[in-house]
Amino acid sequence: MDVVDLARLQFAVTGSLHFLFVVLTLGLAPLVAIMNTRHVLSGNPLHERMTRFWGQIYVINYALGIFTGLVMEFQFGLNWSGLSHYAGDVFGAPLAMETLLAFFLESTFLGLWIFGWHRLPKRAHLACIWLVTLTAYASAFFVMVANSFLQHPAAAVEQGGRLALRDFGALLTNPSLAFSLPHVISAGLWTGGFVVMGASAYHLFRRTAEREFFVRSLRIGVVTAFVGSLFTVGFGYAQFGPVGVIQPDKFHGVAPGMALGIMIMIGQLGQFAVMFVLLPLLFRDLLARWRWLHPILMLMTPLPFVAAIAGWIAREVGRQPWIVYGRLRVADALTPGMTTGGLTVSLAAFAGLLGLLAVVDYVLIARVVRRGPQQVALGAPDLPAEPAPVPARSL
Amino acid sequence: MEILWFGVLAVLLTGYFALEGFDIGLGMLLPVLGRTPAARDRLVGTMAPFVLANEVWLVALAGVLFGAFPLLEGKVISGLYPLVVALLLSWILRDAGLWFRRRLGGAAWRSLWDWALCLGSAGLAITWGTALTAVARGLPPGALLDPPGIAGGIVVAAVFACHGWTFAAWRLPGEPAVGGRRRTGRALLGSGCLAAAPAVVAVAALASPILDHAAPAATLSVLSVMVLPCVPIMVGAQLWIWRTFGRGAVPTFF
Repeated sequence: MDVVDLARLQFAVTGSLHFLFVVLTLGLAPLVAIMNTRHVLSGNPLHERMTRFWGQIYVINYALGIFTGLVMEFQFGLNWSGLSHYAGDVFGAPLAMETLLAFFLESTFLGLWIFGWHRLPKRAHLACIWLVTLTAYASAFFVMVANSFLQHPAAAVEQGGRLALRDFGALLTNPSLAFSLPHVISAGLWTGGFVVMGASAYHLFRRTAEREFFVRSLRIGVVTAFVGSLFTVGFGYAQFGPVGVIQPDKFHGVAPGMALGIMIMIGQLGQFAVMFVLLPLLFRDLLARWRWLHPILMLMTPLPFVAAIAGWIAREVGRQPWIVYGRLRVADALTPGMTTGGLTVSLAAFAGLLGLLAVVDYVLIARVVRRGPQQVALGAPDLPAEPAPVPARSL
Repeated sequence: MEILWFGVLAVLLTGYFALEGFDIGLGMLLPVLGRTPAARDRLVGTMAPFVLANEVWLVALAGVLFGAFPLLEGKVISGLYPLVVALLLSWILRDAGLWFRRRLGGAAWRSLWDWALCLGSAGLAITWGTALTAVARGLPPGALLDPPGIAGGIVVAAVFACHGWTFAAWRLPGEPAVGGRRRTGRALLGSGCLAAAPAVVAVAALASPILDHAAPAATLSVLSVMVLPCVPIMVGAQLWIWRTFGRGAVPTFF
């Protein structure tokens, strides 16, 4: 592999890993916020237990979103300095806004929410998880603004060999953004819904003691997946119009064509399955009672993740060889003077560490699911202000 | 306008050193100060609520570098290539230690991630010192790990360790982990200034090249209009963290 292939592979690996975790974050955040709201409004302990259990899964998943996101952010400067040189005056603005207006606040409020269970007034604590959700969506918005600019460099003119920002409004009304943003956000909801559904099916299948907890959770999961899948598919098809205008050859290649096919197959069949089978079976909790269905629900859980990665491959590989469509080629955006040796080392280090931590993270999530709502660390009591006394030595 | 965004960049770098400095320092000292698993849990618990709010200062710094100083971003980050890779790996290792250490019950598991936390923190401090030294010297080619760079790494590790210890003695006054000693908020402010000093020196040395690489006025105006109105919210959220977690019981999640 040459330098370009190695740098592309490095971005593809970290980007795919990032998206796997972020897509679930986007789906679970509003669900946890809604559960927390019901807990605060009703005072029902069941809702508190749901908030803590699904919140813990959300938080463990969040960790890998951070780790992979850090590498993504710095990788632009490491391997693709040609991009910031040529287009940084335009492309850098939404990324800067993402870090300052979205992630900075998201991370701060998440810290308040995770550690503030016994410290903050209930409503202030609740406000934190809603602010986390809001800023997570703001983050998705700014990242998609930046990505859509690469797909269709609206709002910019070339001056002296570099792009200059002409019209910020046009960056936000990019035809490549209008349908792709709700598509991604709905895909997040679908993913979150399927994870809640699959984990609930596991407990119902095992006939654990938490029947009411997981019958309710199963309902939440299926309804969320229904809403998510409906809009994912709708906004997915809606994109063919603008894409046909701005990138007419996007899906002609082998890889983007195949990825698109896989995504549409999962999306269309999955959406029909949710709408015509799973949703009607919520009637009288048939879905929770028909135990033979539960292994199928568990097997369906990974499907939105596969579709999300396939969709991302279709969108990104489909614009090759351009990094900024029609303006800058990927090969011309590489940092000058990079060697295959150096890139191989950094690729092995990032992919090795992030891959390992991703596996650990999924094992930990599976374990939280298996142990159930009885033993949840999130919201557990604090350590006392004074340290435990050292036991006195006796004869 | 360039001056304003240079100010933002300087505040973010200085703030990162003053705030994340104690997390990194305490992480490095964890095996020394926390002789028992219970003591380590208490030490990690004191810094845990601050870490998420502190490390984002660097994420924001990288964002501002990209948005307001794009020509500099590519030059600096790619010019420090091996150091930036080492810094990211250390950062991830440190964070993984924090997020994972209490997720399983066993003593070996927690000890493994405590070491990740300690080594990751040490790696962060040393790569920061070396990177700042290289940047302040104008990125001389092939001189990332020469004696001045290593000396810079040791200096930053030392001031971070001092800041981390002061934080522990302020947050857990009189406890065995800090030898029964106590530090006031004023002492913590002092050690924060000490931790931030390397960043201040580097920013001051580089003021004119940074200003020369600012994005055009059109980009900076858009950034200002979008970002500046939210600054009070960002500051408020940070203050809320200090108000909530500066005293009292020690949270347990990390």
